[in-house]
Amino acid sequence: MRFTITREKLQEGLSAVGASIPSKTTLPVLANILVETTDKGIRLSGTDLDIAVATEVAADVDSPGGITIPAKKLIEIARELPPNPVKVASSGDQRITLECGRSKFKLLGLPKDEFPAFPAVKFANALRIKSGELQQLISHVAFAVSTEESRPILNGVLWELRADRMRMVATNGHRLAKMELPVNGGGGSQDLIVPPKALEQIRRLFPAEEELEIAKGENHLGFRSPLTSVFTRLIEGPYPNYEQVIPKDNDKVCIADKALLTSAIKRMSVIASDQTHRIKLSFNAGMLKFAVQTPDLGEAQDEIPVRFDGDPIDIGFNASYLLEVLRFIPTDEVKLTLKAPERAATIEPEAWKDPAAFLALVMPLRLVD
Amino acid sequence: MPRIAVLASAVADQIAAGEVVERPASVVKELVENALDAGASTVEIVVEDGGRTLVRVADDGHGMDREDAPLALARHATSKIRAAGDLVGVASFGFRGEALPAIASVSQLVLETSTGDGEGTRVVASAGTIERVEPAARRRGTTVSVRQLFANAPARLAFLKGSRSEWRAIADVVTTIALGRRDVRIVLSHDGKEALALPPASSLQARIGAVWGGAFAERLLAVEHAHGPTNVRGLVERPADVGTASRRVHLAVNGRAVRDAGLVRAAEAAYRSTIPAGTRPTLFLELTVPPDLVDVNVHPAKAEVRFRDRWPVERTVEEAVRHALGTFEAGAWFAPRPAATPGWAPMPERALLAAAPAAPVPLFDDDAEAAAPGGVATAAAAGAAVPPDAAEELAQRPPAEVLVPPLVQVGRTYLMFERADGLVLIDQHSAHERILYERFLRQLASGHAPSQQLLFPLTVHLGPAEAEAFEQHAALFAQLGYRAEGFGGHTVLVSAVPAPHPRFDAEQCLRDTLAQLTADRFAATPARHERLAATIACKAAVKAGDALSADEMRALYVALATTELPAHDVHGRSTVVHLRWDEIDRRFGRA
Repeated sequence: MRFTITREKLQEGLSAVGASIPSKTTLPVLANILVETTDKGIRLSGTDLDIAVATEVAADVDSPGGITIPAKKLIEIARELPPNPVKVASSGDQRITLECGRSKFKLLGLPKDEFPAFPAVKFANALRIKSGELQQLISHVAFAVSTEESRPILNGVLWELRADRMRMVATNGHRLAKMELPVNGGGGSQDLIVPPKALEQIRRLFPAEEELEIAKGENHLGFRSPLTSVFTRLIEGPYPNYEQVIPKDNDKVCIADKALLTSAIKRMSVIASDQTHRIKLSFNAGMLKFAVQTPDLGEAQDEIPVRFDGDPIDIGFNASYLLEVLRFIPTDEVKLTLKAPERAATIEPEAWKDPAAFLALVMPLRLVD
Repeated sequence: MPRIAVLASAVADQIAAGEVVERPASVVKELVENALDAGASTVEIVVEDGGRTLVRVADDGHGMDREDAPLALARHATSKIRAAGDLVGVASFGFRGEALPAIASVSQLVLETSTGDGEGTRVVASAGTIERVEPAARRRGTTVSVRQLFANAPARLAFLKGSRSEWRAIADVVTTIALGRRDVRIVLSHDGKEALALPPASSLQARIGAVWGGAFAERLLAVEHAHGPTNVRGLVERPADVGTASRRVHLAVNGRAVRDAGLVRAAEAAYRSTIPAGTRPTLFLELTVPPDLVDVNVHPAKAEVRFRDRWPVERTVEEAVRHALGTFEAGAWFAPRPAATPGWAPMPERALLAAAPAAPVPLFDDDAEAAAPGGVATAAAAGAAVPPDAAEELAQRPPAEVLVPPLVQVGRTYLMFERADGLVLIDQHSAHERILYERFLRQLASGHAPSQQLLFPLTVHLGPAEAEAFEQHAALFAQLGYRAEGFGGHTVLVSAVPAPHPRFDAEQCLRDTLAQLTADRFAATPARHERLAATIACKAAVKAGDALSADEMRALYVALATTELPAHDVHGRSTVVHLRWDEIDRRFGRA
């Protein structure tokens, strides 16, 4: 194998693949990047066995072939190279030389046969979705997944594909985020549970205007653009019945200024317990009052004007859950609905001129008494 | 013929002897106390055959003259008090004047004594009757030899145990006295062999070291605490050591060794949650109480005392021990490298404890003051470390900022930091367990536990035993934030859970806690709520192997620093281990 590549193309390819390389692994070859020649250049691949990323970059190929190269060292070398063309050659199964201007490196790699095969996913009947739309869903929903290992199903994001819409849902059992977009010409109906790490790669790797091909293998999902592809393991369902917990009868409605609300909650969190972040909200006609009391520390109060319709209510929340949701509200005003101090509250954008629909649920944090 | 007759004095003495002289050990006790009351600086005790054949106590005290010596054997003859009024506030060991006659009435007794000027006196008595009084050569001091104990009291003789066990009792008695009177040289020998040779000691620790070895004494924790007129000092066992050696208890009130179950209970209560249930700590505690608040004239052997108001005394003992346990390593512990950061003085332990939310609130301040008639109380209180007012003021202040040293996690199990005198390792699980335990207890007491409502209720299937355990503790689980309903059979539906920390796994914790409660390892823990708090704390705490972020480590450190007993987890294991530089240097051969 022998090829020449510009420093910039090499760096571009490596930065796309680098994030999929596990930092710790018991399988040595996973710490390497697979480099193969193609018709138009070279393909770089990396995987941690859960997620696999491959990307193609332009290069002048002298002789075809493939080898795996230690990822961390290759990335560090590429970062420090002078701005000259880089000549890469392999000799035998394991030896690589890399020359750039007067710099010369010799590295020990591993044979390409040791690199795990990528999941078999057939793109023949692939769905086609605009990457920007997918990214919109991911960035509004993925934050809500559970990081706790006891319920693996909640560690994934539910992605519902329907003929006329797609929807993502994520929850950790205390709060939930849901977003929906109309789509045209989607094929069939599928429910997929995707690890958020893979979605993060999708969000990062593909330009917004690109159209992605998406196809499901036996237990994997593949995303493909002309140059880059991402494969991920799917989490086995079923996902909990979230529709059932979305309240339909919340009769107390509050419209608040998002910036005012956010800054008041941030002030309250200073005093809220480090562990539970509990703050109390009191909704009254025209006014939303905040209060927090933490033994050993102190207390704080605040209030902001709001539009509120319904009987007054006092309710406690984990402040960090509220702040997280507010970060993703795209409008200047936010609508909260409530029912009772132990029932879920909803948070939505108010007067959003967008075909998408966003809804978050936050379960209250009560004080037992 | 009249049925009632006044007993001859010899018979009366024998009956009295039954109260004071039960066994050779009580003879030793009475004689040694007499010696100490005589101002002796050296007491030598010789015992043969467990005291059956000979008990001899020799001192270098002030002695008696020819006239007093025979009187010493007469009942209620004493030099120590003169009138009933003197009974209040009596400071000498003996004062009833019944010990010597009682002993004499059941033995062959020889008393040799001299005041140091002129000839000495020898008094020989048999079964309570003085046979002769004669001159004798004797240095200043008194020697009492008791032979053939109980020879004329066959009932007593029959109840004596083997000589080994009588000897053990004697050794105990002498040890107890030796702990109290550390200024006196005490030598004890049995059947010709020297068993104890104690030079005068400057401290309780030194005396304990002389009796049981220096290593044992060094591992004890110092107790020093005053509350109102009551002052408690002494040494107690580290919770980590409890149960490793046989337990010893020494209690003294105003210099007098006493037995008092109430005070021992109070001291043990301070250990609660730091040692496994069922194990008892070694305690050496000395109380100073104004003499008019305590009555020592209760028991003929004076082993018991009566407090005018026992509550504040017991509470002070518990507080004292708890402080000692809580501040073990405390002063330096919270302030790494004080030398390098002069602005940060070690936090005064008192302030920290007073600020801790669950620190015992001085409920009884007023009582203690009221019980003490003016003069004594104020005088004693003035000598106390922190006057009650200051303590209250401290309690109201917010907790001081805790300085957190740079922490590293090692082995995903310990937090390590450096301080001036070495390295300190904190066990993350034990530490977190201690933090959560105290928090859960507070929540149970205050009834304010945060409870996170769940979007998807947990359905937990339980075995019969677990379901029963759940039912038994349902109210307490609810107070901790679990909201659960029965769902038919042994299934419970949990709709809200506690939220102690972000990593908390509510379902696993509930299951493990119920399994633990069923297995009943905490069965002996006194109160059900403490047991539940301990179990849940153990199950909810981060585990060894959990990687912690820098912020989590800092939070853990700060929370641990503000607990009541930072150095021990609820099982009595250490949360903190201290590697001293000299130990590390020694390992590297740098010593």
